Amino acid sequence: MSQLMIRHYKKFLAIMFFSLGLNAQVKLTVNTIPKKVNVKLDGVILGESPIINERISPGIHKFEIIKKGFAPLNYELVVNPAQAVHLDFFMNPIYSVKFKTEETGLVFEINDEHQWSEDFIRLNLEAGDHSLRVFKLGEIIDEQIIHVDEPKKFIYYLKKPISEE
Amino acid sequence: MLKRSFNRLFLVGEILALLGIMTGCTMIKGPLYPDTIYNNRQPLISVTYEYGEIEVRLPLNYIGAIPDNIMFEVYAQGDTINPIISILQEAPRVFLVYLPQGVLDIHEKANLIRIIPQDSNFQPVDVRFQGIRFGQIQLPPKSIGMKQLIVSGKVFLNKNGNTLAGVDVSFQNFDNVIKEIRTNESGNFQLAIPGEYRYAKHLRLVSGNNLIFKPFKKMMDFSESFRQIVNIGVGPSSTMEEPLYVTNRDNVHFRKHPDIGSETLFLLERGEAISVKRVTPGEYQGSIEVSLGHDKNVNLDGWIYRSDVILLDVNNIFKNEPTNDSTL
Repeated sequence: MSQLMIRHYKKFLAIMFFSLGLNAQVKLTVNTIPKKVNVKLDGVILGESPIINERISPGIHKFEIIKKGFAPLNYELVVNPAQAVHLDFFMNPIYSVKFKTEETGLVFEINDEHQWSEDFIRLNLEAGDHSLRVFKLGEIIDEQIIHVDEPKKFIYYLKKPISEE
Repeated sequence: MLKRSFNRLFLVGEILALLGIMTGCTMIKGPLYPDTIYNNRQPLISVTYEYGEIEVRLPLNYIGAIPDNIMFEVYAQGDTINPIISILQEAPRVFLVYLPQGVLDIHEKANLIRIIPQDSNFQPVDVRFQGIRFGQIQLPPKSIGMKQLIVSGKVFLNKNGNTLAGVDVSFQNFDNVIKEIRTNESGNFQLAIPGEYRYAKHLRLVSGNNLIFKPFKKMMDFSESFRQIVNIGVGPSSTMEEPLYVTNRDNVHFRKHPDIGSETLFLLERGEAISVKRVTPGEYQGSIEVSLGHDKNVNLDGWIYRSDVILLDVNNIFKNEPTNDSTL
C-alpha cells in the first residue's frame, strides 16, 4: 500500500510540476549591480543574482532585493505574457559620512525626519541628495541640499554652503 | 594588606584607562547616528521583454484548377470582421505567416484563416484553429477547389403534379455518372458536383432511371451561374388520356399504319407512354407525346405492337421495387 502511495506520489509530483510549468510560461532573468544579491520573488527566495532560466507566470509580482551596504529595493511588476522578461536592478549604495560643525547650539535635521545636535557625528546615508535643515532655538536658520556620492566628511559653517573634506 | 590595596588601585587604574581609550576613540570618530538615512530615491530598474513569434504553416491542395492569386486573411480571438493581417500572394503550396506573440486565442479554436481565391470560379475557404503563445503551428492540409455546381429542385409526376420520393437523380458527363442521389421524402433533391465541370460540354441531369418511364434528361449549362433550380416532371402528362401503356423495351417501332411495311414514325425508348384509343388483336392505336422543346409537346397518332407495351400501373411506377410505391 505504502509502495503504491509512493508511486502515486511521484506521479502526482510529476503532474504538479508539469502543471506549474504550463502556468509559468515566461522565462525570467534577473541581474543586479552589485552581483550576488539575494533576490526574493513574492516572498520566496529565488537565490543569488544573477538569476537565469527561472519561470514566472504573467501577472503581478513583487521583487525584493536586499544586500548589506545598499538600500533595499522593492519592486512590483506586472509581467506581460511574453517569451521572456529580463530585469536589471541597480542598487543604491549607502555611504558612511562624517558630519562636523564648529558652531554651537545648533540642531540638524535631515530629510524632515532624522535629527541630531552633536557637533560631530557619523551618518549612514543612501547615495543621492538629502535635504538638510538647521535649527537654532527652534527656528530654521538654514536649508541646504547635500549630495552623497562617496564616503566623505561634511563640515558645516553657519549660512555658508556646506563644504566637503 | 598592602598587596590587596595595590591590586585595587591597579584595577581602578585599568578601568579609568579603558574609559579614557573609549572616550578618546569616540572623540576621534564621533558617535554613530543609529538609523540608516534613506532618501527614497527611485531605483534604477531596467525591464526588457522578449516576445516570441508564432509561425503558422498551412499546406494547400488544389483540386483541379489553381487560382492565380489568393488573399489570406487571419482573424483572431473570435473577431471575424477585422483581420489582424491580410496577405495577397500567388497561390502557394504552403501558406506561411508570422504573427506576434499574444494575438491568438490559445484556449479555443477562435482563430481563423480565410482563404479567398481571387477568381470567381473558386469559393472562399475558412480554416479555424487554436493558437499558441509562441512557436510553430502546423495546420492540416486544406483543399482549395472551384465552387461547386449545384442543382436543386423536385421530382414530380407530370400527370397530377404529385412529388415523388426515392427517385434517382444524377449528373452525367457523357455516360459517366459523376454523382447520383435520390429525392427525399418530400420529393426534393440537391445535387452538387465539383466546379471543374462548369465548362463541360456534355454535362446533363438525368432523373428517373429507377422508374418505368423514360428517364428525364437535360443538358446543363453552368456558364452563367453556379446554382440552378430544375423541377423535373416524369411520366405522361395530364393531357394524355387513359388507358395508358408504356413501352417495355428499347427501339420499339411506332408506325403510321397497322399494316406490315408501314412507315415507322419513331423508334421509342423503354418507358415511353402511349395513350391507347383502339385495340386490335395484335396492335394498339394511340398517341404519344413528342417534345418540341421549351416545354412544348404535341401528340402524334400511330400504331404499336401489343407485345411491345405493358399497361401502366400508376400505383407502381418503380422498376423492381414493388414496395416503393408512390401515391398518385
